[in-house]
Amino acid sequence: MNSVWARLTQEQCRQLHNASLEILERTGVRLFNDEALALVREAGAKVTDGNRVRFPARLVDQALSTAPKSVTLHDRMGRPVMPLEGANTFFGPGSDCLNIIDHRTGERRRPVLQDVVEATRVCDALKEMSFVMSMFLPADVPQDIADRYQFQAMLHNTIKPIVFVTYETAGCVDAIAMAEAVAGGADALRERPFVACYINVTTGLLHNADALEKLLFLAGAGLPALYIPVVSGGTTGPVTMAGGLALSNAGVLVGLVISQLKREGAPVVIPGFGGDALDLRTMVDPYCGPDPRGMAQALAHFYQLPMFSLGGASESKLVDQQASIEAALDMLINALCGGHIMHDCGYLESGLTGSLTQLAICNEVVSWIRHACQPVEISAETLALDVIDQVGPDGQFLKLPHTRRHMRERWYPILFDRDNYNGWLAKGGGRTLAERAAEQVSQILASHQCEPLGPAVAEAVRRIVLRAEAQLGREPLAPASGGSYA
Amino acid sequence: MHEEQFNAMRQSIVDGAPEHASELASKALELGIAPLEAINKGFVPGLTHIGEQFRLGEVFLPDLVMAGEAMKAAVAVLEPEMQKRGTQREILGKVVLGTVKGDIHEIGKTLVSTLLSASGFQVFDLGVDVPVERFAEKAREVQADIVGVSALLTTTMQGQKSVVEALDRHGLRPKVKVIVGGAPVTRDWAEKIGADGYGQDAMAAVAIARSLLHK
Ligand code: B1M
Repeated sequence: MNSVWARLTQEQCRQLHNASLEILERTGVRLFNDEALALVREAGAKVTDGNRVRFPARLVDQALSTAPKSVTLHDRMGRPVMPLEGANTFFGPGSDCLNIIDHRTGERRRPVLQDVVEATRVCDALKEMSFVMSMFLPADVPQDIADRYQFQAMLHNTIKPIVFVTYETAGCVDAIAMAEAVAGGADALRERPFVACYINVTTGLLHNADALEKLLFLAGAGLPALYIPVVSGGTTGPVTMAGGLALSNAGVLVGLVISQLKREGAPVVIPGFGGDALDLRTMVDPYCGPDPRGMAQALAHFYQLPMFSLGGASESKLVDQQASIEAALDMLINALCGGHIMHDCGYLESGLTGSLTQLAICNEVVSWIRHACQPVEISAETLALDVIDQVGPDGQFLKLPHTRRHMRERWYPILFDRDNYNGWLAKGGGRTLAERAAEQVSQILASHQCEPLGPAVAEAVRRIVLRAEAQLGREPLAPASGGSYA
Repeated sequence: MHEEQFNAMRQSIVDGAPEHASELASKALELGIAPLEAINKGFVPGLTHIGEQFRLGEVFLPDLVMAGEAMKAAVAVLEPEMQKRGTQREILGKVVLGTVKGDIHEIGKTLVSTLLSASGFQVFDLGVDVPVERFAEKAREVQADIVGVSALLTTTMQGQKSVVEALDRHGLRPKVKVIVGGAPVTRDWAEKIGADGYGQDAMAAVAIARSLLHK
């Protein structure tokens, strides 16, 4: 994309920033971690009541001046594939859905580890999915270390960058150990990070122990942390978008300060969403309401910091018209606003259900958006004045080399139907978009395989999973064998 | 008799106006309306109406919550007079509520807490990340009728089971009922761990709490 559509003016961004600063100085936040408390106290923040912290603005200014303006995620092969800066946008799935709608049967059921494997392989194959998240929460592995199994499955089945979620800090430490085994050591991973941890924070004003621990661990290691305080308007924050965003952004600034105090220049990714509200009629937490779209992105661009944004979710319970429309609108608007890492493609039912069929539809929509937002080349070649003159009023363009040279630059659908009526009946048997998308998923699963992990690396990864099992005093389960992923 | 008065009471609940509701309650006593009659003919119809409107999606959660607050304000004014007359106000019961250890998801739990309290339960909200034993201790301390345990993670769901076991250990069951809820929780799970009720959402939690206490 060329440029971004700014929902907020620079002046409005400044107002929000100042509001967040006022929250930090006047109201203050609670930090549930001793190291973080010690760091901010030492730096000059005021700590009262044990863990209530009020920050002077200069700490924020300082952090904003040292946090990297750009973070580049690499693939497993060490190639820089996701430069998070400017108008670059990258789409991918979400994590940890409690249910899956099986693309083969349409049944809604509890996911298993094999579903994580399949989701990862599908993401690896889909061109517009730039990164991978676990998508499903497997019910057939020990729940307290399900995160280890998810991470292992993702390492085996994609070379794309991985955005991961873990319950506790130990899970994050294990994930990084596995990633280091793959990258070839801590330095290699720091220089070419291909994984990033998504950390959820209770609210802008409450920073839970796990979130701070993970942030400090990752900052210490110089690895990218996605530090995301969540405010749900009407319940944990003001129902107004500005107030909600000012509040969550106060929490974002806290994360920046702490990470930069821990290690100057530590890479932090801030949220490209915020200002959302609970649905006060149904009590459901919606993922793709229209109101606050673009606000948090504008703020992240104002700070010139890399962001973790949303795109592609739907509240629908099915892969239906609503699912397509919500996902498409959401992805389009978030792309126009210049979100960097855009997650949650394939999410239904406010993050409680996921669908690979829906993911494939999202992939098609992203390719459409890319073409709609691509910069336009105006040159002698594309203006084609010589060609026009050569053909003149009486000729036609079908036989020209110029046509054949450029015709494939246009967008052609993979899933969207553009046949005439009889062609649609004959080729596809008159199927719907969802049916065609499910078939695409089946085809990918039948044919696509990514570059496997080397046997030694796979074994090192497996040992980390086994260690987590052993630490809980349990016999390892079969899936810890790398072989089952092949 | 007093139709206009009852209408105004009903409306004060619908408007979610605690001060106005308590004024109208005082006025009712001055006019010689029996407190139970004031509640049943004046205020309760307002609450019933707003509950229906919420189910239909016509009003929002804060409307419902404020209607509950207005109701409480009116009852507080009428209560002393009821005690004098020996008529009992319906006390729905005491609920100890929290999100279980290891889990910081608070929004659903707080909605359940707010609606229970708006419906007339006395709620002891222990917050989030609540140790298992704490549920049992608090239940004993306040002589709870119900313990409610919220969990949003498949990992922390196990803690709901531990709370049931702890209450057993403390000899508080079956007198103390347990209700559970949260995104990953199902009716099957509730049955499996020996909980007495499951709420798909906060409204359902209130309904199940009522039915467990036969209220
Ligand atoms: C006692 O009787 C009852 C009866 C009924 C009861 C009841 C008790 N309790 C609830 N109910 C019922 O009534 C309520 C009202 O109708 C309902 O309550 P709910 O809580 O369901 O509904 C609320 C009104 C609105 N819904 C919510 O508030 C939850 C929404 C989602 C998006 C969610 C949120 C907001 C958050 N999260 Co979390 N979060 C998700 C959620 C996905 C989802 N759609 O549910 C879920 C639950 N989270 C998840 C995850 C993975 C996590 N979260 C985490 C953190 C957070 C936030 C802090 C960011 C935030 C909570 C903020 C807060 N202050 O509460 C982390 C865990 C932290 C921890 N230790 O607890 C973390 C592990 C992520 C991380 N590593 O950082 C997933 C669960 C995976 C699993 N293993 O089960 C998840 C499904 C999202 C996803 N797909 O990834 C009913 O369930």
